[in-house]
Amino acid sequence: MKNKKRLIALGLAATMVAGMVTACGGDNGGSSNGGGSSEGTEQGSGTEGSDGGSSSGGGELQVNIWDNYQLDGLQAIADAWTEESGIKVNINVVTWDSYWTLLSSGAQGGEMPDVFWMHSNTAQMYMENNLLLNLDDYIAKDDKIDMANYYEGIVNLYNSNGSQYAIPKDHDTIALLYNEALFKKYNVDTPTDDWTWEDVYEAAKKITEAGKADGVYGYGVNVSNNQDGWYNILEDYGAQVITDDHKGTTIGSEEGKAGMEMVRKILTVSAPQSVVAESGTDSLFTSNLLGMITQGSWMVNTYYTAENSADYKWALLPYADVNGNGQCDEGERKSAYNGLGWAASANCSNPDAAYSLISYFCSEEGQKKQAELGVAMAGYVGASDAFINAFEGTDLSAFTKIEEEGTLFFRPYTRNTTVWEDALQQAGGFLEPWQNPEDPELMSKACDNAQTIIENAIANE
Amino acid sequence: MKQKMTLAEKREAVWGWAFIIPTMLGLLILNFYPIFDTIYQSFFKTGDFGLGNVFIGLKNYQDMLFGSGKAELWQSLWNTIKYAIIEVPFSVVISITLAVFLNRKMKGRSVYRTIFFLPMVCAPAAVAMVWKWLYNQQFGLLNNVFHTNIAWISNPNIAWACIAIIGVWSIIGYNMVLFLGGLQEIPGDYYEAARIDGASGIRQFFSITMPLLSPTTFFIVQTRIIGALTIFDLMFMVMDKTNQALNKTQSIVYVFYQYSFTNGNKGVGAAIVVILLVFIMILTVILQKLEKKLVYHN
Repeated sequence: MKNKKRLIALGLAATMVAGMVTACGGDNGGSSNGGGSSEGTEQGSGTEGSDGGSSSGGGELQVNIWDNYQLDGLQAIADAWTEESGIKVNINVVTWDSYWTLLSSGAQGGEMPDVFWMHSNTAQMYMENNLLLNLDDYIAKDDKIDMANYYEGIVNLYNSNGSQYAIPKDHDTIALLYNEALFKKYNVDTPTDDWTWEDVYEAAKKITEAGKADGVYGYGVNVSNNQDGWYNILEDYGAQVITDDHKGTTIGSEEGKAGMEMVRKILTVSAPQSVVAESGTDSLFTSNLLGMITQGSWMVNTYYTAENSADYKWALLPYADVNGNGQCDEGERKSAYNGLGWAASANCSNPDAAYSLISYFCSEEGQKKQAELGVAMAGYVGASDAFINAFEGTDLSAFTKIEEEGTLFFRPYTRNTTVWEDALQQAGGFLEPWQNPEDPELMSKACDNAQTIIENAIANE
Repeated sequence: MKQKMTLAEKREAVWGWAFIIPTMLGLLILNFYPIFDTIYQSFFKTGDFGLGNVFIGLKNYQDMLFGSGKAELWQSLWNTIKYAIIEVPFSVVISITLAVFLNRKMKGRSVYRTIFFLPMVCAPAAVAMVWKWLYNQQFGLLNNVFHTNIAWISNPNIAWACIAIIGVWSIIGYNMVLFLGGLQEIPGDYYEAARIDGASGIRQFFSITMPLLSPTTFFIVQTRIIGALTIFDLMFMVMDKTNQALNKTQSIVYVFYQYSFTNGNKGVGAAIVVILLVFIMILTVILQKLEKKLVYHN
């Protein structure tokens, strides 16, 4: 009897230990709702991915990314590289919220992954602290990589003091997403390529009024939808959230106030701020409660795999007819764009292999493959057409059309972007006008506040 | 006169130390060192990645207590106190009642005890996610079942109370288990004697149970106050950062998280944490002084 009890106890203890070991062993590619590749929707952190591994010597490279949707495509490309080089590639997905904490603690502890994504929010900080591998010599010797082939804004982002520290991996643009079924239901004309923001306002007004009983709104934008939302309207009117030298802002200028006044007008016929703050524009849209939103190309997969995806259509981002001449002139149609970069750790044990992998990802061939697999639009100019055709049944041409018919502006960033970016979204920034869109004074005052907030934040950097 | 230890006592002492060393090391390295490092960092304007710290003396404290951060700091401290005012009394009262009822001989007692303890087993993030959608104004279960349209977590006047309700719900099981332990210690003779003398159940509760349970109650109240003052995950996960009610609900640790991790300003974050530490220490001193008066010891 005593022995039997002992055996049972031992068996249970062994199972417990085995359970702990396998759980901690970490399954790679932890599930997450895949924060967007460049903006990274910060809500909904989901479950954690496994810990970022240490940089490994020998025949393996450790790669960290934050977007689960891109994992399969990137692993396929990496495997093709493995066949050539013989070195295994281990791709790790860490959710957006934890990615930077992990990277910075890895940087302080000397254990960064070998190859990883860089983003405009933090690029300057990492480059100035010599944490990224200097790629100049490698690029000079590599005839497959020529920085002139990539989007200039992204190349400049990852360039510090004349040296290149990351190579552009992708880029994204913004388009107008609308629910065709809702437009048909309420008898409103669907968006066309010559729509202005006034047309958006009119259509949203009709849908909101007609859809009151069903709780449907014509438009939805939260103060936190900046790159994919109101930044674009603001810039259409000629103001800049951050000036080209990254040291100032014109958000409080006449143009800025005109732009935000248009935003305010659209807000009067949009879902209330408390609603979008609690539920998020994406959830509301896929629940068929919003007629239109603007979104970025990194979110294509979310809507493609949604239940009613057949009703969702992407249209060209509208423009602002500032000079009133009835057509779209230079600078009246703008879209934010951003691009991630592939970077290597300055202390990685096998820099040659790390560069070789980066070069493969960023070469014309690798970029075309990335687009074909529907991973993201290429950082390599001209390689994105395959992306448009990667999602059967959906017309994504709006994302490349904006580049020809409009102007791209880089996602506003400074050395410590999140400080002012978050402040703009809270009380004392633009939160009050979002809550009370009927009052134009609030929006105008908020523009002045925003000007001060950004200038103070830059002064403190 | 100091007595020298015998050999046997010396050996015992050595073994005693040997068993304590792992925990002591852990405490020293993982608790004491970070505490002093945090206090040290609060006097600096921290640079990126721990390099380039600039000594600025008490400026962080001045800014947060009297200067630009004053409104945010004091409001968040008050928010945290409001949260604690709801979480601690309600959870203690409810769990004492539950513990007393679940201490009798009844059918399915273990089942009930398990059910009430289950909230403790759930991951805090999961709990927050579920409650976030329960409270959602448009689609939440609460508004749809009771046909109300209350902005549970967007109304600045009630959002803090709703968050505190989540806190109460999740900690009831833990308190109940501790109270059950305390109840087992009370000899049944007292209750027998009281019954013979004709005391009612309620009279027994207030005259026997409460005084004899007071050491446990005191311990739970003290630890729960400290726990409630350091609340962070509920506000962080349930409320979006653009939530209108955030200003009147965010806890002081939430403000710390924003400064330290979102904005990368760890010096100011460290100062905030030290301020909270001082506040909790003052409270603890007050509670310790009250212990002598409130707690009944044999």
